[in-house]
Amino acid sequence: MAVALRALLVDKRYGATLAVSGASLELEAAKIHAIVGENGAGKSTLSSIAAGLVAPDAGHVEVLGKRLSPHTARAAIARGVGMVEQHFRLIDALTVLDNAMLGTEPMRSLGRIDRKGARAKLAGVLEELRVKLDPDALVGTLGVGDRQHLEIARVLFRDARVILLDEPTAVLTPKDASALYATLRRLGDGGRAIAVVTHKIDEVLDHADVVTVMRRGRVVSTRPVDREQNRDAQRAALLHDAFHDADESSAATVRAPDDSEKVLLEIEELEAGAELRGVRLEVRSKEIVGIAGVEGNGQRELVDVLAGLRAATRGVVRAGAPIEVVHEDRHRRGLVLAATVADNAILGEYARYSRMVGLLDVRAMRAEATRRIDDGGVVPAEIDLPASALSGGNQQKLVVARALARGSASRILVLAQPTRGVDISAARQIHLHIVSAAQAGAAVLVLSADLDELRAICHRILVIARGHITSAARRDSDGRWDESSTNERLGAHMVAQAVGGEAS
Amino acid sequence: MSTRRAAMRLSLEADVWTIAASVAVAQIAFATLVWMYGESPRAMTALLLEGTWGSAYGVGQVLFKATPLLFTGLAVHVALRAGLFNVGAEGQLALSSLAVGVVGAWLPAGTPAMIALPLLVIVAALVGALWASPAAALRAVGAHEVISTILLNRVADALVGLLLGLGLSLKGGVRTPDVVQHARLSRLDRFVPALAGSAASTAVLVGIVVIAVTLWILPRSRMGREAELVAQNDEACAVERIPVKWRRAQALVLSGAIAGLASLGTVLGYKGYYEQGLGVGAGFTGLAVAILGRGRLLGIVFAAVLFGTLAQGGLAINAYVPAEAMEVIQGLVIVAVALGDAQVRTWLTDSLGAIVVRKTS
Repeated sequence: MAVALRALLVDKRYGATLAVSGASLELEAAKIHAIVGENGAGKSTLSSIAAGLVAPDAGHVEVLGKRLSPHTARAAIARGVGMVEQHFRLIDALTVLDNAMLGTEPMRSLGRIDRKGARAKLAGVLEELRVKLDPDALVGTLGVGDRQHLEIARVLFRDARVILLDEPTAVLTPKDASALYATLRRLGDGGRAIAVVTHKIDEVLDHADVVTVMRRGRVVSTRPVDREQNRDAQRAALLHDAFHDADESSAATVRAPDDSEKVLLEIEELEAGAELRGVRLEVRSKEIVGIAGVEGNGQRELVDVLAGLRAATRGVVRAGAPIEVVHEDRHRRGLVLAATVADNAILGEYARYSRMVGLLDVRAMRAEATRRIDDGGVVPAEIDLPASALSGGNQQKLVVARALARGSASRILVLAQPTRGVDISAARQIHLHIVSAAQAGAAVLVLSADLDELRAICHRILVIARGHITSAARRDSDGRWDESSTNERLGAHMVAQAVGGEAS
Repeated sequence: MSTRRAAMRLSLEADVWTIAASVAVAQIAFATLVWMYGESPRAMTALLLEGTWGSAYGVGQVLFKATPLLFTGLAVHVALRAGLFNVGAEGQLALSSLAVGVVGAWLPAGTPAMIALPLLVIVAALVGALWASPAAALRAVGAHEVISTILLNRVADALVGLLLGLGLSLKGGVRTPDVVQHARLSRLDRFVPALAGSAASTAVLVGIVVIAVTLWILPRSRMGREAELVAQNDEACAVERIPVKWRRAQALVLSGAIAGLASLGTVLGYKGYYEQGLGVGAGFTGLAVAILGRGRLLGIVFAAVLFGTLAQGGLAINAYVPAEAMEVIQGLVIVAVALGDAQVRTWLTDSLGAIVVRKTS
């Protein structure tokens, strides 16, 4: 088999942490190669090094047997290596075509851009992807799925033979994720080498040919995926490599609260603009209610109304306790990344620490921040680091820990995508925190695109589509889900009338 | 704790580099300009140093030139912490100076310093704050503070001339009457005889104390801390119910108040009255002092002294090279330091980016 890209014994240090240590990776043509591991295991760093975006401190990268030198993104692109990063690098104000050719515009004489040539080339690329995208549409008008298609199209536009994708399915529904892998398979069959960074083991078992497991900056194992063989055994082996000491039990089993518990949150016929059209639901104390849905079907508007950031145009929200909200966009709405972990842990609560002449009780603030990040399991537990220095999973733990630390036991918690982009063990910790908050008396509303997550922690699951609540699944008295609540059934409700559910 | 210390060491290193780089840029620019004027860089450097750091008088003059910059540099920094560019220190200082001159002269002749000085400090701060408040209010409704503060500078300029003409000045002149005797700040040569003849006053000490106290309080106060967070991510702050607009407004008003205090150096420490043009330029140079000073006591003092040296040095070599050459050097140092400053770079790219995007969409 032809090795398209090889990273040899690379090291990368950020400050005091060794993000990647002596890691080697071989990507073969025509194969889908998954890279899995916890948050902070070094997967993203290793793939960024392979794509030339980050220069290693030691070791090097070879493309088609020739060393990549200088180790820059430009050199890597010229050699046919492209990467789709986790956070998209698209410019909303430009068109699809402009974004696709940005930086690699085909030129005519006198420095004129060959737009016609670019248009034809993009059409070819989109055809290969089997994606319909209007080249003249503004990127700002595209949904998440189309943005991702465009990111991949951009890489192909640059004639990439090696394509790396960092957490490409984090923002996709299971159905869209499968479609993405089908696309990647086609690209692979065309002779390209594909690498996918992910922490979803099931995706790997379903779609990858080879899987590399990383832990704490090191490559632990690289093995083929054999779909003929026992799936559970392979899963166990991968989990063992990724978290040799993590336990395998599922999230805490949860018993539904009695009807005698007080209804803390009651929403009636809530409408807000065109996005939210008649939502009604109620959540009792000690109850966890899940709202499943394809992104863009009113979830964000619902959360904004509950957070008081947006006014309802009709309907009533009756809250029997203060509402604490965890927003889905932690970088924009959850954290001040440049500020310290301590400041973020008590963001917006300075009034409580204001003493004489407006001076803050810094000691008390630090003590409270330390307590919160310890409770939330934030690692490293150093409150003087900037929040940007934490991995994505630990940033999310920090945001959740802050929300959970506020208010009395009997309160309302609204959590939007609480474990998106978070690895398995961190997600499990967050789930445990949510469950124990509910057991202590909170009414919890969880919005998520991850059905497995909702099934693990919720008592009831509602589906939101086009701003309506369309179906409900509940557990029976033994805590088992009823027949109607299989992922397939819920998924069908999610996409049946959803915005962006079916490819149009 | 170790990360905290490591971070402090890193930022200290960055400070030292900034200082070294700014001095180097100033030297290279100076040598080049002098050479272009056909003079010997070496001889002119010697002359410049002699006129500034070569004598006690020169040192006194450098301190004198640096005094208003201590205040305006701090003023700009306070706004910068909240993510705002106060380009209006110039106008805030002009109106404060006029007010301090007028009130200082209006006081009964025998008013003791214990009463006159605190009163005039309050007047200076209040008028500076007042002149920053339209910009603060406009920012809350969306007008960019750079534009509004620049425009307010022009208004202040015209207003000062108008008020002087309307009877606040001495008959037939463009200056206010002398302030009462005890309202004046002592010259430093009263305590350090070697500085004899130089215009440095105790205002320089006041400036250093004000910087130290402000920089100590801001990160320890709710308002200062929240303003800093607003600068970094206003959306997250709004979600957490931090009063974003109010914090910005407060920072800009406080910045204006501190800029107004620079009149202590010019009116009370130097002239003893206000005349049109007194303190002109201190507001703009304050922008450079704030950026070069990086929000630290020593940094702001160093930056003020550097620009004070350039101003005084320009006078020392005026016979051979026009003093305006020093303004060119000041400008080059500002540009070099500003481009090296990450905060300014982000601000520039954000602003320019926003303009470009608005045009295309």
